[in-house]
Amino acid sequence: MQTTDKKSGRKGLIAVIALIVLIAAFALAYTLLSPSASEGSKTLTIQVIDDNGETTSYTVKTDAEYLRQAMDETDGLTYEGTESEYGMYVETVNGITADYNTDGAYWAFYVDGEYCNYGIDSQPVNDGEVYTIEYTVYTY
Amino acid sequence: MKKTSGISVKDIALIGMMTATIEAAKDALSILPNVELVTLLIILYTLFFGRRILFVIPIFVILQGMLHGFGLWWFMYLYVWPILAFLTYLFRRQTSLIFWSAFSGLFGLFFGAFCSLVYLVTSGPAAALAWWVAGIPFDVLHGVSNAILCLALFKPLHFTLRKLKNAWF
Repeated sequence: MQTTDKKSGRKGLIAVIALIVLIAAFALAYTLLSPSASEGSKTLTIQVIDDNGETTSYTVKTDAEYLRQAMDETDGLTYEGTESEYGMYVETVNGITADYNTDGAYWAFYVDGEYCNYGIDSQPVNDGEVYTIEYTVYTY
Repeated sequence: MKKTSGISVKDIALIGMMTATIEAAKDALSILPNVELVTLLIILYTLFFGRRILFVIPIFVILQGMLHGFGLWWFMYLYVWPILAFLTYLFRRQTSLIFWSAFSGLFGLFFGAFCSLVYLVTSGPAAALAWWVAGIPFDVLHGVSNAILCLALFKPLHFTLRKLKNAWF
């Protein structure tokens, strides 16, 4: 019986050591294999040209897929708009509202100088791109 | 009364009691993530009542599906708990409290790894690995809490079950 107890005790000790070693190994695996949650992998420039023609420039490091999330992550940039089935229609940037119904004003979005084909919810962002958000008045 | 089949009326009652206690223990602690008594109960029931656990686990798993919906996790339960019962049966001659506490801890620690096998089938090795890695903090919590609960409750439950078994079987 004593021998069985000894054997059982030894197996218990081995199991405890295995548990501790594996917890450490799992913690290491978590540290090494987890996706990095530090700095974003894409660097974007966002320029806002307001109703007086003044330009404010922002740089953001982001992992965002679409422009809206990148804008959310841009320190100092604020915007508001109306949600629609096509995503958000931006009406106010940095506190300046463009009201199309009053004077034909709207916020135009450009990527690397080209007019954006998509709304901010579906405009994909890539590393190094320059976005311009310009207060524009439509003239007839 | 002479037994006419492999399962007696007593067995049926016992299987019902075992399932009910596992089910109640599972749902009572469901507010605490990965802190559970199912592991400890399945280990003890396998040690005391052997093959009867083979009836308990499927009923428990089906009940869990009926109560909480048949999601992907449900397919994990189909094999995770039988693996536990099988491993317990392999080590059934062990008597040390420390052994069973470490065994419970190891099972909790590997719970996510076992469960990720479903993702290996449905989404491939990369997804299974990512799913497992993301859940490691919960697996560690599961392992540590399993070991502590076993250290605290194995002896009193073992004592009670031995008394009950001696009285009824």
